[in-house]
Amino acid sequence: MTATPLLPAHEMRQHTSEIELHVRAGSLGDLLAEAGRALAEVELIKADCVPGGPVRTIRVTSSDREALLVDWLNELIFLADFDRWVALDFSINLAEETEVRAGASGVTLEWGLSRVKAATFHRLRVEDVPGGLEANVILDV
Amino acid sequence: MSSSTSDGSLSDYATVSVSPLIREIPVTARPDMRVPVRVYADEYLWQQIVRDRSLEQAVNVATLPGVTGCVYAMPDVHEGYGFPVGGVAALDVEEGVISPGGVGYDINCGVRLLASDLDLSAARPRLEAVVHDLSRSIPSGPGRNPQLDLTATDLDRVLDEGGALLLERGLALPEDLPNTEAGGRLAAARSACVSVKAKQRGHNQLGTIGSGNHFVEVQVVNEVFEPEAAAAYGLRRGQITLLIHTGSRGLGHQVCTDYVRQMDQAMARYGIHLPDRQLACAPFDSPEGQAYFAAMCAAANFAWANRQTITSSARRVFARAYGTAGRLKLVYDVAHNIAKVEEHGGASLCVHRKGATRAFGPSHPETPAPYRAVGQPVFIPGSMGTASYVLAGNDAAMTLSFGSTCHGAGRAMSRSEAKRTRPGHEVRRELERQGIIVRCPSSSELAEEAPTAYKDVERVVGVVHQAGLARKVARLKPLGVVKG
Repeated sequence: MTATPLLPAHEMRQHTSEIELHVRAGSLGDLLAEAGRALAEVELIKADCVPGGPVRTIRVTSSDREALLVDWLNELIFLADFDRWVALDFSINLAEETEVRAGASGVTLEWGLSRVKAATFHRLRVEDVPGGLEANVILDV
Repeated sequence: MSSSTSDGSLSDYATVSVSPLIREIPVTARPDMRVPVRVYADEYLWQQIVRDRSLEQAVNVATLPGVTGCVYAMPDVHEGYGFPVGGVAALDVEEGVISPGGVGYDINCGVRLLASDLDLSAARPRLEAVVHDLSRSIPSGPGRNPQLDLTATDLDRVLDEGGALLLERGLALPEDLPNTEAGGRLAAARSACVSVKAKQRGHNQLGTIGSGNHFVEVQVVNEVFEPEAAAAYGLRRGQITLLIHTGSRGLGHQVCTDYVRQMDQAMARYGIHLPDRQLACAPFDSPEGQAYFAAMCAAANFAWANRQTITSSARRVFARAYGTAGRLKLVYDVAHNIAKVEEHGGASLCVHRKGATRAFGPSHPETPAPYRAVGQPVFIPGSMGTASYVLAGNDAAMTLSFGSTCHGAGRAMSRSEAKRTRPGHEVRRELERQGIIVRCPSSSELAEEAPTAYKDVERVVGVVHQAGLARKVARLKPLGVVKG
């Protein structure tokens, strides 16, 4: 019997100087999009933001799907720190074990940004589960 | 001995008591260990340490190729990413590896202390205005510095040369650089090894505090433990000082991110297999190892320049308030997240200190000449509202900890737990009741950094003093703090 695909969802747990993201979804593409939305929730202290402006194209390649999740989040963190642009809405065009291509719309903010500094390999996990995938990734804050 | 961790798992490492303040996890505790782990702690701190995965992480570090002697855990050790914060490991430069995770994301996070000629009585009438002016003059939080947006050429000069550019621009005094660890410049730095992304993140962040537990604090010397060393450092009871705690900002974080990624991909080529991917490493003398070392040194130079630029801003604030009496003399500047090549026991070792401070004694050639009689100064920042300490390096530390000591109190609570425990307005009221002026972007961030969220710095410093890693010289009481 085929399991019902998991609906994208995430939870966050805070530790001493880090935030642990727990993400689940029916596919790798949905997992990456959900992880991006979870990151935006942490980045935006004031959460009532509506994505707008031109869609940006984001492409990330990595050695495996665990590294892909970390590299994807680090690309979004770079855009937030350098450009003050937080991606909120994702359209995943390609998601393979070692590559993701996506369109993203978001918001540019001068104030109210949170302080996520990096996504780490620490206790990193991406696993197949019935109906999709589950992942854990730690953010340095 | 079994240690229970916070997530309920068991960390079963038999320990041997080496002395009342040193416990050892022997090399036989796990088959992949190459050296033992030694932990400096009293019973109280030990019970805090075993609550998280610090010890398991220290054991993982003890498996790195080329690790020598012991892996050391300082009394403020806590779980980090791969490598514990408060950990020290020395790796042979010919046989061993270098690991970005062993330095940490905030490369050359560190502390500098400035001493004024003012006494508390003279400073007090203008203190609130001074703290307010500091908060307006030094960008904090995720802020940028609109006053100092470096060109690409200027940024490369800072990365390669440290403070030379600041000296030319009048942002440093000639006597500042010799009073900075390594003269504020690691010669192995190569800006070409720092990615475009890292430079983009850092180009307008020079002179900014950043966020987290970073701060600029006005203090008073309220106790002197070793008068001879205090005099050598130019410190006396009742004197006003300024402590700056920050690092390499987004630039350093991007350097770490870039090279963890590169080394993660390179490890298979070198046949390196590790228990934790965040410890990703490469042989020190490999192209990847040398590129990371050059980029890490460049980020360290950037961090020293960052603290120097903040120093310049603080000097202007003190001059506006107090005139020539507000002159601020740099006592010293120390890194507590860094990897440096040092000679130990006749061997050339790459000493990784992550959340640990170099503490060289009187006889070490790198101890600055004015401090040769007493040892290099070490600064241990407290949490907001608690005292900071000035320590002096001991020669004995060379054999006890590769010349290293602790770096601070270390977090004991998550940020959300701290906020649940005590709201920001209560923290502010309590600090004000103690006579401490606080400037912080928000009450929420104030709550995250409440003193109760950190370990007891007095106890941490007490252990390193008794263990002989460094000597207590003076205690600095906070008067006003600008939070990152």
